[in-house]
Amino acid sequence: MGSILEVRDVSHRFGGLQVLKGVSFDVAPGSITGLIGPNGAGKSTLFNIISGFLTPSVGDIVFLGQTTTDRGIAARSRAGLQRTFQTPQVFRDLTVRENLVAGCHMRGRTGVLEAFFGLPNVRREMADARRRADEIIERFDLGPWREIPAGELPAGRQRMVELARAVMCEPKLLCLDEPSSGLSTTEVQTLMETLERLNADGMTVLLVSHDMKLMEVTSMVHALCFGEIIASGSLHAMRESPRVREAYLGT
Amino acid sequence: MTVSPDTQRARAWTWAITAAGLVVWAALPWFLSRGTIDILVFAGLYTIAGLGVSFLLGQCGIVSLAQSGFYGIGAYAAAYGTTALGLPIPVGIIAGMVVSGAIAAAVGIPVLRLSGHFLALATLALAIIAHVLFLELEWLTGGTLGIGGIPRIALFGFTFSTPFRFYYLVWPCAFALILFYTLLLNSRTGIALRAMRDAPAAAAVAGIPITSLKVRIFVLSAAVGSLAGSLFAHYVSFISVDSFAIDRAISFLLIAVLGGVRSIPGTIAGALFVTAAPNYLSRLGDIHPILFAVALIVAVIFLPGGFGGFVSSTWRRLTAGPRPSATGGP
Repeated sequence: MGSILEVRDVSHRFGGLQVLKGVSFDVAPGSITGLIGPNGAGKSTLFNIISGFLTPSVGDIVFLGQTTTDRGIAARSRAGLQRTFQTPQVFRDLTVRENLVAGCHMRGRTGVLEAFFGLPNVRREMADARRRADEIIERFDLGPWREIPAGELPAGRQRMVELARAVMCEPKLLCLDEPSSGLSTTEVQTLMETLERLNADGMTVLLVSHDMKLMEVTSMVHALCFGEIIASGSLHAMRESPRVREAYLGT
Repeated sequence: MTVSPDTQRARAWTWAITAAGLVVWAALPWFLSRGTIDILVFAGLYTIAGLGVSFLLGQCGIVSLAQSGFYGIGAYAAAYGTTALGLPIPVGIIAGMVVSGAIAAAVGIPVLRLSGHFLALATLALAIIAHVLFLELEWLTGGTLGIGGIPRIALFGFTFSTPFRFYYLVWPCAFALILFYTLLLNSRTGIALRAMRDAPAAAAVAGIPITSLKVRIFVLSAAVGSLAGSLFAHYVSFISVDSFAIDRAISFLLIAVLGGVRSIPGTIAGALFVTAAPNYLSRLGDIHPILFAVALIVAVIFLPGGFGGFVSSTWRRLTAGPRPSATGGP
């Protein structure tokens, strides 16, 4: 198989403002691909286009060999694309475990009426979902907070809940938007270990961040500046690249 | 899975209180006047219709003023089906639920994409249109003259002909629906509903089909409202268009808000208030609508979560032990 995700010549403008100018790159299966760039480079816009929150003015998003540019958010999610948000979006009133159960909603087969009458298959499905949630909770060390409403947790832990929820459905591609923002140094370390473990289990990750420390987990990095990819390569090559240093590191 | 002693204690108390409540419920009509039992029957009917509105508002964030329309469809389906077409009673009731559900689906698909005030206005328009149609379609509804001679419901030769008897029909229906809505709330579908209420964008990413789920819950709510209307028609045996006006839609919404939209059993309290309060206040003379309005305002100010919200927060305080800290741990 070729790439998991292909971004093909994507341009986007908000009114008179050209935010992306013909961006193209691939995400290889099994990789952790990074997307770096200073504030205002167009990272978030590109990320919203990939996850279906925005339709690009020009260009295509190809996911698992299929053009998904015009497909909705939920349809992409069912196809195996998951994302997190720059500000963690947990389901505040739901417990940590319920958050995870909601995360794999699409795997359910039972409908509203079956749930209304409490048929046995609904309970079975719920028990399966809970079991799976408990496994992931253990993997993410969230055990002590299992029954606590996610909205009551501090930001760093909400981020882990969001990540755990995204993993529930074993996505083919996990897209993370600034996952280290608001985390302490030790929390970033834990996040990096978690990402490496997920990747070792075969998950492909697309990481958008300006945190160069976090980028150490990547195998391939694309640098975005003023809506254009200015360099691609390993993190080491990025650090050496004069263009990146000038645009991004400011040295 | 292990259950903590606190949870066990809370469960035991819940069962004990439920059992005591059922004993009181079963004994109550033997000590009350016919008029009071009649009020309790209406509270039961309104609980059923209000449940649909409450769940829709509390779990999906949809303000529905359309329930009086579905209540009317249920009533007319029961009345026309049994008197003009000679259909068996259950067929009329089911026909009403199917028609209401179909209308809710047809209207819900475009309307439920709206949100907030626009959605509330759209459902209000729906109730007004339904009321006008009930008035104009005289061949079906009898217009202002209404339809009389609607047969009473009979089961195994027992006819639910008096308030006393109907009390034992309507409340088990209401209790069953409370149970069903509670099952729905605790199912994966219920979790998905609460998820999309909390964070719609993240819910979409989790693959939750937001609009489609909202439409399904709206259809369910309409069918439940229709059931209440059918039971009402068979209880009073005469219906006219006056019973399905906008003030009825507002009563149903009030029941939901007063009962507490996040609480399913709270709907009973809301329905009791809306049926009993005007009745008792009217004994104080012409000032009673103002007193009712004051009572409403006081209730909303002091019980923002409704009666149900008040009870459940008190309940949590009484039963729960110290909670594990949200920030502590390894």
